[in-house]
Amino acid sequence: MTLGEQPRPVRPTVVSTTPSKPEIDPILEALDPDRSRPADVVNSQGLTLSFGNKRILSDIHIAFRRGTITALIGPTGCGKSTFLRTINRMNDKVSGFRHEGDVTLEGESIWAPRQDLLSLRRRVGMLFQRPNPFPMSIRDNVVAGVKAHQIAKGKQLDVVAEERLRQVGLWDAVKDRLKDSPFRLSGGQQQLLCLARALAVGPEVLLLDEPTSALDPISTELVEGLLRQLTPALTLIIVTHNLGQARRASDNTMFLYEGQLVEHGPTEELFERPKEARTERYVTGRMG
Amino acid sequence: MSSHALPGTGRRRFVTIGFRVGTYLSLLMIMGPVVWLLAGIVVRAVPHFSWSVLTHPTTGESGGLENAIIGTLLLMAGVLVLAGGIGILAGLHLAEYAKPRKNGKESGSLLRIASDVLSGFPSIVLGYVGYVALVLGLHWNFSLLAAWIILSVMVIPYIAKSTETALRQVPTAYREGAEALGMPPGYALRKVTLKTAAPGIVTGLLLALAIAGGETAPLIYTAGAFADSPVSMSLTHHPVPYLTFLVYGFYTLPENASHYLAYDAGLVLVVLVLVLLVAARLVVNRTQKHSEARRG
Repeated sequence: MTLGEQPRPVRPTVVSTTPSKPEIDPILEALDPDRSRPADVVNSQGLTLSFGNKRILSDIHIAFRRGTITALIGPTGCGKSTFLRTINRMNDKVSGFRHEGDVTLEGESIWAPRQDLLSLRRRVGMLFQRPNPFPMSIRDNVVAGVKAHQIAKGKQLDVVAEERLRQVGLWDAVKDRLKDSPFRLSGGQQQLLCLARALAVGPEVLLLDEPTSALDPISTELVEGLLRQLTPALTLIIVTHNLGQARRASDNTMFLYEGQLVEHGPTEELFERPKEARTERYVTGRMG
Repeated sequence: MSSHALPGTGRRRFVTIGFRVGTYLSLLMIMGPVVWLLAGIVVRAVPHFSWSVLTHPTTGESGGLENAIIGTLLLMAGVLVLAGGIGILAGLHLAEYAKPRKNGKESGSLLRIASDVLSGFPSIVLGYVGYVALVLGLHWNFSLLAAWIILSVMVIPYIAKSTETALRQVPTAYREGAEALGMPPGYALRKVTLKTAAPGIVTGLLLALAIAGGETAPLIYTAGAFADSPVSMSLTHHPVPYLTFLVYGFYTLPENASHYLAYDAGLVLVVLVLVLLVAARLVVNRTQKHSEARRG
């Protein structure tokens, strides 16, 4: 079964295990701005990737449904981060990078000659393991990408900054110090700031590389709650070492082991009734 | 902890104290000469100092320093533009564009070796090359242009190296963040990378300027050795007066007035460099308001 067969929830919830088709209001469906677009936003078609002679990923077939959250789990060194960083082409410049197969965004190969790298990265945002605000004011951080892509200018930038800071729930904490350095914020706040920065350029897909592993439990909960609010407008792919987080925060889970996609499917199913022995060993904590 | 002495505690304490003493000694080795030199200049220059020195040109073997101060400032300004421009671009190339090739080999190594070799040349050799090639060879005579070029050749490797180092210290997280946002590379370089590296680059530039301003040997061969020549804005065929020649040349003259002038020149040079240092610090502080290092 591929992820594509899973019923498309209007508002995905964590416990969407029943494969019965939900009732969809035909009027609402007609109003859906995404209805004419492919249901799979990102699609990895037999992606095989190596750096020099070292093969990192082997023949990965997986499709990411629009508006879902997919957790990417697996032991250290299994290729999780590499897979994630392939989708916004952050690996292209690594020495010895080679790939076979294809990854498509909205049906078009991310390596297609007409694909503009900069606008690809605008459409596919990324949040890193450690918060990495730029050495500029809090406000300038939020609009850094907006300025670079010339999406807005002048007074509009202030509007964008406020809107995005509100979206991540940081506005009240920082509204009086927008001109201050971001490094005076707590780690969790810095990560939220980076999230606001990533959201400000209006991405369709957000890649999250262990976004809460450097944060305290309360900040982690805050970020997890926010991620849920970002769907179904955005499609999220989140690498995590935290199995609890994968269970709580994702609709689907994919398990990578030694560069191979061992199993993927609805999160609940993968954790409760894994089909593969290796998956079971990993999700039950018998393999780290 | 228990009252038992841990094995090796005595030795550890000995080593700790040894290192502590060592670091203080090296501190003294640096601070000592600085204080001694500064005090030596101030004590000898200040009692005879009069402000008219700054407003009158050198005449014969006495007079003021006006022409030498302007000459030195002119030389430094030229080096700032010429060596600063080329040196920073070279450092930028080494740090940002001469990345390892796809086959894993380091590129740009030829430039790096050339730069390192150049920085090893004695300044007097560079001066003599300038004398033979520019002053005599191109018939420029002692001139501003010849001095600018030779001083620049001297400090470019220094600026390139400090720029490269500063750029390499910019955290990867900043670069990746900019990359992942889809910032155009040139834009990211200006707004994120260069801004972060600015203190290192400016400091390197400043030290290079101080070195250039304090040089004597290469200038004698290129700018000339005439303390009382008037300042001319023409690029060739006019020797340039400069402070270090007064220090070097007038100290050995018999008259006391000449000695005073030599010490005055030394004092002015020191003040000039101090002003440069403070100014650069202020500029850097302004740009680093939001830097990670200043989170406190």
